[in-house]
Amino acid sequence: MDFYLGLAQVIGIHTLLGLSAWCVLHTGQVSIAQGGFFAIGAYSAGMLTSMWNWPLGPALGAGAALAGAVAVAVGFPALRVKGLMLVVATTAFAEIVRLFFFNLQWRVQTPSGLVGPDGSLGFGGIRYFPSNGWSTFEVNVLIWALVAGVMALLWWLDRSRVGTLWRAVGEDELAAQSAGINLTAAKVSAFGIGGCIAGLSGGVFAHYATHIEHNNFGILLATFAVAYPIIGGLSSLAGTLVAVIFIQGFLLEGLRFLGEWRSLLFGALIVVVMLVRPNGFLSRALGVNWGRARRTTADRTPPESGSLYRQ
Amino acid sequence: MDLLYLLDLTQSLIDGVLFGTIYALIGIGFTLIFGVMHKLNLSYAAASIGAAYLSLIVVSAVPAPVVYVASALLGGALGWLVYLICFRFVPINNPLATLMSTLGMLLAIEELISHVTRGMPQNFPAMFASSNIEIGQFFLRGDLLFVFALGCVAMVALTQLLQRTRLGLATRAVAQQPIAAQLCGMSVNATNANTFVIAGLLGGTAGAMAGAAIGVLSPLMTLPLTVKGLVVTVIGGLGSIPGAIVAGLIVGGVENVFQFLRGVAERDIYVMLMLFAFLIFRPGGLFAAPGGRD
Repeated sequence: MDFYLGLAQVIGIHTLLGLSAWCVLHTGQVSIAQGGFFAIGAYSAGMLTSMWNWPLGPALGAGAALAGAVAVAVGFPALRVKGLMLVVATTAFAEIVRLFFFNLQWRVQTPSGLVGPDGSLGFGGIRYFPSNGWSTFEVNVLIWALVAGVMALLWWLDRSRVGTLWRAVGEDELAAQSAGINLTAAKVSAFGIGGCIAGLSGGVFAHYATHIEHNNFGILLATFAVAYPIIGGLSSLAGTLVAVIFIQGFLLEGLRFLGEWRSLLFGALIVVVMLVRPNGFLSRALGVNWGRARRTTADRTPPESGSLYRQ
Repeated sequence: MDLLYLLDLTQSLIDGVLFGTIYALIGIGFTLIFGVMHKLNLSYAAASIGAAYLSLIVVSAVPAPVVYVASALLGGALGWLVYLICFRFVPINNPLATLMSTLGMLLAIEELISHVTRGMPQNFPAMFASSNIEIGQFFLRGDLLFVFALGCVAMVALTQLLQRTRLGLATRAVAQQPIAAQLCGMSVNATNANTFVIAGLLGGTAGAMAGAAIGVLSPLMTLPLTVKGLVVTVIGGLGSIPGAIVAGLIVGGVENVFQFLRGVAERDIYVMLMLFAFLIFRPGGLFAAPGGRD
């Protein structure tokens, strides 16, 4: 039972990561930086609870806020580049964050010994959950409550004017600008909200993993974060959840019986999914249409064909 | 800052620039594919290393130079395979899907390499490893010089191919105006496949060069090569081959200098910061791509 609870935790955290990338992808930008914001949230929330004994809620909030602030700061120069260059710029940013934490050494003396990030040895001793008696099930409840909350927030944003603005910028930047939409505000707000969500999930990840190190926040994690919304279909929020369950649940865990061949099939299956359904799992109607009340042309054509790789 | 420090600094710069030809070739491959298809092939560096691995199959039977040629040819074959699997059947105006499919290909190639070699790094034959040229106080390492020379030969061959052959003409035509090229009777699919083969030839050479310069081949090399290759492509300007060459040499040199100054743990931070500086001050890259409609 614990195995499935642990799997549910991982799926929940990755869903939050995918949702944060969904925000940014909606405005037509492919950002590999979500892993960096995840790391910022993880390290700061972990440091606040273990080194200075903050309670969990404020620590998670501070982690999310810090990640969001960094996202806004990164978002402004990100406006100068589009398409592939943004991919590379965000990859570079994620690497900078990872290397920064690789070199970070800051330990304080607490009643239970020296605690803090220790350079390449990672950051251990984030013992908030065990020392406050949280069981795996309760952690799961927290994670999935956060997932539900974030999904509700994004669904509401999507239905509101903000979502319309984001979609407009994502479909065709030139047309959106001509219609008087402030591109800067749309893109930076999407970046910032995505950064907050990633930071929040990073904070929870740090607490249930109790030991984090720079390797956890590499480019691969960030690429997965972007892969989930793309594979799940950008037009629906639930698609991200489906994609996370598919990749983490089915590909990573469900194929365990294949033993050695599992990791080989992993990449191959992603290729197959992209060939069979290039717009994502939930892009065309499978009979259910969650997350979007009406079907628009965005479901029939690839969403970011207009703006993504234009120079 | 005494003379010895300056000498060491210059020596690292020289070594870095010589090593930078590898990054230049990977950057050229990325920029070639992007220029023609406007899509990113994330698996390019992995396919290059894979081609170098495949060429090791014949290493015991043939002299060392043939291994390099074999690596290039196998790179071309792998490039065609990547086109067939990841690009051919994906709708043409969907860059996100090919981003994901090439990511899947990258993961698959890495895992395949790790499986087949059981995770053990493989020795790669280096040429001229024991001969060095001395110019005053500076050493020019023999193996790095060979890598540099091989890179230059590859770049010259590529330029000749693109400028003087019908294949190169078709590639440039499809890159500039795919619809007009189709109207002239060129098959876009065939030309795209050929572009991948050409890029794959370059990539196979780059993989062999990386193996020669480092001495061993390891699947851990694929991700850093991919990232550095992308950095080189962006700094040089998307779709610009001379830009990729110059940027590759710059990145190679800067990387080594920062490694000398700050150690290997922080080196990449400064390379990435340099990328950001370029993006802020010259977002088009060193040589902005020649005009032409998207």
